[in-house]
Amino acid sequence: MESLKLSKEKLGDFVSKLTDKELLVPQKEGEALKFAPLAGEDMPELDYENTSVPPKNAVFPHTETMLQFELGKMDMQVAAGDEKEKVLLGVRPCDARAMVIIDNLFTWDVDDPYYVDKREKSTVVGLACHEPCSNCFCTSVGGGPASTEGLDVLLTDLGDSYLVQPLSEKGEVLCQAGADVLEKASDADIQGAEKAHEEAANKISRHIDTAGIPENLPSLWEHELWEEVSRSCLGCGICTFLCPPCHCFDMQDEVEGFEGRRCRTWDSCMFSEYTMHASGHNPRHSRRERTRNRINHKYSYYVDKFDVIACVGCGRCINLCPVNIDILDILSKVREAL
Amino acid sequence: MVDLDKLRTVAKETVSRDDVKYLIGWSQGTFGYRVSPHFVKTPQEVDSLTFSPLCSNNLATYLTLTEKLPVPRGEEPDTRKVALMVKGCDSRAVVQQLIEQGITREQVYIIGCPCQGVVDLQKVDEKLGEGVEPAQASWENGQISFQLPDGKTEAFPREDVLADKCITCRYPNPVLSDILLWDEVEVWGSDDYEDVKELDSKSPEEKWAFWQDKFSSCIRCYSCRNVCPMCYCEDCILDRLNPTWMFRSNNVVENTAFQVARAFHLAGRCIECGECERVCPVDIPLMKINRKLYKEVREKYEFEPGLDPESKPLQASYRPDDEEDFIL
Amino acid sequence: MNDKFEPNIVAFLCNWCSYAGADLAGTSRIQYPANLNIIRVMCTGRVNPLFVLNAFQQGADGVLVSGCHPGDCHYMEGNYYARRRFTLMRELLEYVGVDPRRFHMSWVSASEGAKWKEVVEEVVENAKAVGPFDQFRRNKINW
Repeated sequence: MESLKLSKEKLGDFVSKLTDKELLVPQKEGEALKFAPLAGEDMPELDYENTSVPPKNAVFPHTETMLQFELGKMDMQVAAGDEKEKVLLGVRPCDARAMVIIDNLFTWDVDDPYYVDKREKSTVVGLACHEPCSNCFCTSVGGGPASTEGLDVLLTDLGDSYLVQPLSEKGEVLCQAGADVLEKASDADIQGAEKAHEEAANKISRHIDTAGIPENLPSLWEHELWEEVSRSCLGCGICTFLCPPCHCFDMQDEVEGFEGRRCRTWDSCMFSEYTMHASGHNPRHSRRERTRNRINHKYSYYVDKFDVIACVGCGRCINLCPVNIDILDILSKVREAL
Repeated sequence: MVDLDKLRTVAKETVSRDDVKYLIGWSQGTFGYRVSPHFVKTPQEVDSLTFSPLCSNNLATYLTLTEKLPVPRGEEPDTRKVALMVKGCDSRAVVQQLIEQGITREQVYIIGCPCQGVVDLQKVDEKLGEGVEPAQASWENGQISFQLPDGKTEAFPREDVLADKCITCRYPNPVLSDILLWDEVEVWGSDDYEDVKELDSKSPEEKWAFWQDKFSSCIRCYSCRNVCPMCYCEDCILDRLNPTWMFRSNNVVENTAFQVARAFHLAGRCIECGECERVCPVDIPLMKINRKLYKEVREKYEFEPGLDPESKPLQASYRPDDEEDFIL
Repeated sequence: MNDKFEPNIVAFLCNWCSYAGADLAGTSRIQYPANLNIIRVMCTGRVNPLFVLNAFQQGADGVLVSGCHPGDCHYMEGNYYARRRFTLMRELLEYVGVDPRRFHMSWVSASEGAKWKEVVEEVVENAKAVGPFDQFRRNKINW
């Protein structure tokens, strides 16, 4: 597919061509940067490191109605898949890769209709990283600042313009819709972008060698390191809720008067009620077991099942952990212990 | 002034004691200006302990957060003390826990660290950027100086980088301690609740719009609850399913109810350590709501939580002549 | 506001004073607005502030908590605790933008049927003035 070019001045024009789809771009909501529908005449602002809340909300919402019912009646309405086509503009390659990772789970034994519907109807326009954050480690877990996995179009900042590389059919369609404002990219542009990609990858300062970890992690089951790394854990949901490949959910029936709905909401393995049995027994009774599970799930169980590490190295859990629990620090302790 | 040698000596003596289980202090974090809570069990581990303007964590949380696991058959429960390093605000959290009988005085050995205010890392990041290499900071003659990656240091006036709660702090010295590590510092702060009054003077519609904007970004990670040294109910209303006080769904109505309930449960208990606001990943100004209740409690009932271990909890006490202007 | 709007008021009345007061108003044939959904509790001290929040979320346009006069509590001091609690709750609700006219507290004794009428009239009038509280309804959002 042919690479194209979009001058930054024409970004607004390009966006206005996509009116048949809902456009989600990173925006400040309160103080948090997250993907939200672009209002009216606003211009998308693509000058940011990464959103504080990952775009997984667009395909796996925090709260999602599955079915609705009325008390005393026999029939239920399954929430219809009437999702509008969406364009996510400015997704970082790590976050896009995360969607591919969780596709594995949501299409594993049965296709999850809610997820698949949203996923099929979203076009993901990525933005290659120029300045990785200080805790990015995507290159260690199979990604990179210009990884194309999960993206339909990749944008690369060339200073006063973007190199636009369509990567899939959906991406082609998008580029055709905006054909008027796109121009053909020259070889110099493509080379410039490749150079930028390489430079960005070299700027990533944190690394971990994951070789051998997935196979051997469960052998450290009773190792004292789990106690050590989890002692300061608060048991909050920051690391999991803001993790792009984390995908655990809880089912809730909410009834109000005579109306009710069944919905699924994000859940976190770091919460004590996550594994709480109806009997009151909790097999993961302390933060030690929960932390161990989080790391094992990402770096061992998921690899076992789907052959991919359920971590994309975005660094959010490191940046936002209130008590500085650092997944790279844990992994290096694991490495020492192996 | 901060004396790290003294701190480590005292820590070493403390963890060597037979009646101390472990000591909780602060140590250098894994990157940038981060500091992490540090649990010391043996005298060999004390060298990584530190105290600096980066030590924001309120360690009193761990007194109640640590799980009380069942004692295996045939073993005696461990009744040894937990040694805890506290700043002024942290010590008030301990006192408030004592007032509420969440802990007993025998369970804790308090090492007081008079504090000249901790930094707000967001303010620091704006000025210096977020580093990769672990770096330190220290108080120096009314300034806070930061180590830079190239080995140099850069100092800023305290007011520029201090956390908001520290600018108005009135209790920088521990109000209760078993040992005080260095001389008490002079109190610099006063609080007129200007920010609260300003918001309070707006119309209900404006206030509603202000908070809806903030609460809509809440992701319900419950970090504000978990980090709070005062939030230690074994059975939290947020986890209860029968009755379901709060729905788990994330929408602005549920989030508002959650935040109102959370704030209300801290009425007359919040000791203004500002941890909830610091940890919030979506930067909801939670102290603005906590401080409103603090102000009302202070004005209406002349009560400040976390000062006197002998006092009674505000909402478990009353005066017959309490104000009742609004009651019909 | 729309004249036809009839607010839903949830009233938590203590068993010993206000509930009996409302009863007296009824048996004395004192007419008062019928917008109240009365929930009898043993004491105002039993009213959890979360009741107020949940009432709003589930359809109340106004909430009233009513009990014995200070000093008259059947349990000696329950209403004193309630007074502190709801003074603060009201401040907090006002601060997050809930109109103060939606939340009231009153002391009505078992012999004050006439006062009960006045209280209810005021509460209903206030709730009418601020209108429905749809923005704080659970099932109006995203269901």
